[in-house]
Amino acid sequence: MRIAPDVGPAERAGPTPPAEAQRLLVEARDLQKRFATYHAVRGVSFNCYAGEVFGLLGPNGAGKTTTIRMLTTILRPTSGRARVAGHDVVREPELVRRSIGVLPENAGVYGRLTAREAIRYAGRLYALPADALERRIVEIADALELTQHLDRLTDTFSKGMKQKVNVARALIHDPAVVFLDEPTSGLDVISARSVRDFVLRFKAEGRCVILSTHVMEEAERLCDRVAIIAGGRIRAEGGLDQLKADTGKELEDIFVTLVEQGTVT
Amino acid sequence: MIRALWSWLRSAGGDGASRTRSRETGLWVRAVYAKETLDAFRDRRSLLVMVVLPALIMPVVTLGIPYLEQRQQHEIRTTTPEVAVVGEAPHLVHLAYTTKLIKPVHTADPSKALRERRVLAVLDLPKNFETLVARDEQPHAGVLYDQSNPDSVAARGRVVELISRYSQAVVAQRLIARHINPKDLLPVVLDQRDVATQRQLSGELLASLLPFFIAMWAVVGGMSLAVDEAAGEKERGTLESLLVAPPSRESIVLGKFLSVITASVGAVLVVVVAMMVSLRWGYPYVMHTSQKLDVSLPLGTAIVMFAVAMLFAALMSGVQLALSIYAKSPREAQQFITPLYFITVLPALAVQYITEWQTSSWAYLAPVLNTFFAFRELLLGTVNWGHLLLASVSSAFYAALAVEGAIYLMSRESVIFRT
Repeated sequence: MRIAPDVGPAERAGPTPPAEAQRLLVEARDLQKRFATYHAVRGVSFNCYAGEVFGLLGPNGAGKTTTIRMLTTILRPTSGRARVAGHDVVREPELVRRSIGVLPENAGVYGRLTAREAIRYAGRLYALPADALERRIVEIADALELTQHLDRLTDTFSKGMKQKVNVARALIHDPAVVFLDEPTSGLDVISARSVRDFVLRFKAEGRCVILSTHVMEEAERLCDRVAIIAGGRIRAEGGLDQLKADTGKELEDIFVTLVEQGTVT
Repeated sequence: MIRALWSWLRSAGGDGASRTRSRETGLWVRAVYAKETLDAFRDRRSLLVMVVLPALIMPVVTLGIPYLEQRQQHEIRTTTPEVAVVGEAPHLVHLAYTTKLIKPVHTADPSKALRERRVLAVLDLPKNFETLVARDEQPHAGVLYDQSNPDSVAARGRVVELISRYSQAVVAQRLIARHINPKDLLPVVLDQRDVATQRQLSGELLASLLPFFIAMWAVVGGMSLAVDEAAGEKERGTLESLLVAPPSRESIVLGKFLSVITASVGAVLVVVVAMMVSLRWGYPYVMHTSQKLDVSLPLGTAIVMFAVAMLFAALMSGVQLALSIYAKSPREAQQFITPLYFITVLPALAVQYITEWQTSSWAYLAPVLNTFFAFRELLLGTVNWGHLLLASVSSAFYAALAVEGAIYLMSRESVIFRT
């Protein structure tokens, strides 16, 4: 169990440029996705390393979710390739799935199951042995402050609590790579804050975190590097400080400028 | 599924890697099955529909309709219908009173009385009816009745019977007057005897009821689970989490399929038991007969029937799950499944009227229909093992096809993210 209770936002490391020693965990090369009537992603490339939070920033419909779905093997890229945790997403999808934890956008819960049962179900899907799984549920619930609610039906939970259950489900198998698609959307301030704390925890534990958001403040607080996506293309990519220094603007201004350009081109 | 079974069989004797893989597939199927079954048990509504409703409704349905029918028959047999008699015929009227076949009444406007249902029929006799009879002429009598009223139709039967008895009495008088023995007109007497055993009679009763209810509850029993487990997961936003986990689409669909078929077979069992119990113990009580209905099936027949019903439930569950995977929302899934309900219930009702197909092997290859023909043979005790084999193998094939279709749909991104 790598979630260490004493790691908080205060210990957040500064923007870490990918050192040679760091493991490359997500590698996207010219990913494209064309649906029947819509060209959603038109060539997205980026790298993400262990111990790094990589932000996918973009307005609604920019292609963030489609990109994440290609990297998590549930959409097949029209062209381009991607490797996650060393495995090709098209040729070895099952190996990829074993190494990733995913919190999809607007993820729901099984309302008629208790939190413990829901998390246990996730653990069984990763074929964790029963006794190890029960220990892991207790540990993870402890870290997420879910312990006293473990045996309540998730239907009775607040939105923030439901999100915690989904975080626990995504992390049950201790994945090296975590995908979070708009993890704080629809949450109140307190719940959003605790989700952000987990993101920093994941990073401190050396996981590679890919986070999609359209909230600039969130990106600034959490991400080491960001890619700004609009119209299915990456308009800018780099460390936050570097982006600001290059343009002499605040992140939100950079974002608005790029997105407006994106809608014109 | 066929592929899964095949690779499973092959890996049993295969190398370590494929053995691990099939062990994992087994774990995944079990995990999905256990979760879905637990989820369904927590759902009060689906439990109500699957268990409580059939247990309450079946006695009412199996006993209520025969009871009402019997009551009507009894009424018709025991009451003497009022019939307006036009014309004078003292002997005929006397016969009517003594036989209690009809109750003759006089009305001013008999046709109107019949239309207003104050009398159930009108017996129209010509003038001097009995004088004409006495003169050995052949007078015409008429009966007016109302075909749309079952009581009037019964009254007409009574009038026919009355006239027939009156004619017999007249014939006997005429023959005696001519010194001829009336028996000479009946050279042969036919005695009729019903040899159908109680078992065959109840077999026919079961054959007309059971297939219909099995068809109905095989669909209804699994419906809420099928809808919830695929379209429901899409709506709740839990499907994506399931699809990014390691289990193959095959294991996910198989686990869900097994939970749907459990519910479907469970509902069928509850219905069949409720029906058997109400027929066995309720029938003599409600139907005023001291005779108990022998609805017990020989154990062998019951086991074979259960196996056939299970294959049918498998087909229904596979199709329902596939439709639910394709549907965008539970509402749409319900709309897709409703026609399936009619497609299955209609053949179940129809088999007793198309018995001429029963001897053709093709009938045992047609999906759905094959099951009901097989049931009929089993219940009437006219089993042809070749037919049964055809029906079972073809049902299993269609069920596997449906599950294979569900797996295919689950693997299509355009279906999973259909909007």
